[in-house]
Amino acid sequence: MNDQILMEKAQASLGNKILALTNPAPRRIFLKVAPENLLETVGWLKNEIGFTHLSTISGVDLGQTFEVLYHFANDFTCLTLRTEIPRENPLLPSICELIPGAILYERELQDMFGIVVQNIPDGRPLVLPDGWPAGNYPLRKDWKYKRPPEVIPGGNK
Amino acid sequence: MKFQIPIGPQHPALKEPIGLRITVEGEIIRDADLRLGYNHRGLEKLAEQKTWIQNIYLAERICGICSHSHTTCYVQGVEKLMELEPPKRGLYIRTLVAELERVHSHLLWLGVAGHEAGFDSFFMYTWRDREIVMDILETITGNRVHYGINTIGGVRRDLDEMQVKHILDSLEILRKRSEYYRNLGTTEPSFVARLAGVGYLSPEDAVALCAVGPTLRASGIARDVRKDDPYAVYEEVPFEVCTADTCDVLGRAVVRIKELFQSYNIIEYLLKNLPAGPIAVRAPRRAKPNEVVSRYEAPRGENIHYIKSNGTDKPERLKVRAPTLANYAATIKMLKNGFIADVPLIFAAIDPCICCAERAVSVVDARSGEEKIIPMNTLKQLSQKISYGKEKKRVAEWPL
Repeated sequence: MNDQILMEKAQASLGNKILALTNPAPRRIFLKVAPENLLETVGWLKNEIGFTHLSTISGVDLGQTFEVLYHFANDFTCLTLRTEIPRENPLLPSICELIPGAILYERELQDMFGIVVQNIPDGRPLVLPDGWPAGNYPLRKDWKYKRPPEVIPGGNK
Repeated sequence: MKFQIPIGPQHPALKEPIGLRITVEGEIIRDADLRLGYNHRGLEKLAEQKTWIQNIYLAERICGICSHSHTTCYVQGVEKLMELEPPKRGLYIRTLVAELERVHSHLLWLGVAGHEAGFDSFFMYTWRDREIVMDILETITGNRVHYGINTIGGVRRDLDEMQVKHILDSLEILRKRSEYYRNLGTTEPSFVARLAGVGYLSPEDAVALCAVGPTLRASGIARDVRKDDPYAVYEEVPFEVCTADTCDVLGRAVVRIKELFQSYNIIEYLLKNLPAGPIAVRAPRRAKPNEVVSRYEAPRGENIHYIKSNGTDKPERLKVRAPTLANYAATIKMLKNGFIADVPLIFAAIDPCICCAERAVSVVDARSGEEKIIPMNTLKQLSQKISYGKEKKRVAEWPL
């Protein structure tokens, strides 16, 4: 199977659920779906096409929305499934039931972007420290690092 | 009675600090939990504030062992964004350094595996030979660890005839020595007995948990980015994907030893077919708004960078996923139902070496779930108090 056949299959099976489907380079396919069709699409990719390997999940802050990209790979191509969720209500379904290996990436997404992954089997913080203040999501574009003022015990003199 | 034992996050020999909390019943691990973030450096955020060129050196510092993996992965993505076509000779040199890096990483790993299995002379032998590769890398690039050879559009240093001869001569020594390690590592009875059957990962679990690299290939799945999604010059270089079907630590060792020989063949092919010509092309300072997914087979497995540009001289987003993160979910699976004594070995088998118990045990009351951390000597005193005056049991029972 090559990229062309895969794209035709996607057109036939997913139909109007596809918001965008591009193939900018050999072995690179970008597919965009709405968040409510995400689980169904991941299930289709896994069971029908054999995309069992999820390389990672990337998040991008686009201002009004967050873009979430699922990078799948198999023996002949690499498919990136993307979806956009609103910044005000960043809810995303968990795909761990289909791809158990996604758990660490989903936890990282929660930590870094404040995206709420629904039905996540284990939603504890992953990469940020224990005492990290709530509501601080470092990879959001409006988050700026401020160095805390240095306090020397016993005064500065 | 279940105990929870914290392992890490600090250990003098660790490459990465990581917290591991294992729940044990006697000697057997029932559950394992991972805590990351002790070394989170905010690198992805930092990359958004640096230029394309500066980010090469930032990417190089993601990892000390596979530094070339990250720069190559980043640089070949940026080349796609800038629509550059690096010259053939540049790509050959880039691939050469990549394979030399794989050799040094695998030799290092073999040594660590030997050390964890209590076979320290093996550790000393492989690390001595790793110096040969380190010397080659130093002659080619000028550095032992952070080679700094990649640049956008090619490489920064050329090879001359003397260097090519030096590498080919050293390669002969390495081949002979590796042959010896292959025999030793796969036939020495106590070493094999220590590794076989430890850290079992079934092929189904390896796929479901998205394992990568030698960990995945040791479970019999022939997945290698160099074959599946060829980058640089791997399309024209003959090599085989190495697998093993034992699904345990021994299999992971065998896969790595086999890959050493494949790497020697690749290096020899690259040097004998090195094309003439320039080594780099000039790169623009800005990249048009676009996005790219770049994949690379690092010594430890698939490395992936997602890069998004916005028309300026800085990236909009650089997402990095190193192979070790992908293998953590599988490691938890491997640890379950194993022995405490196997923890360092299993952890070392994915290639970060996390192998020390802190001198404190946190005890969970199985009935109330109450947890407290007590130092080892208090625990000893407690046990002495309980057993004091009691009749001594002379015959120890095997916990299974």
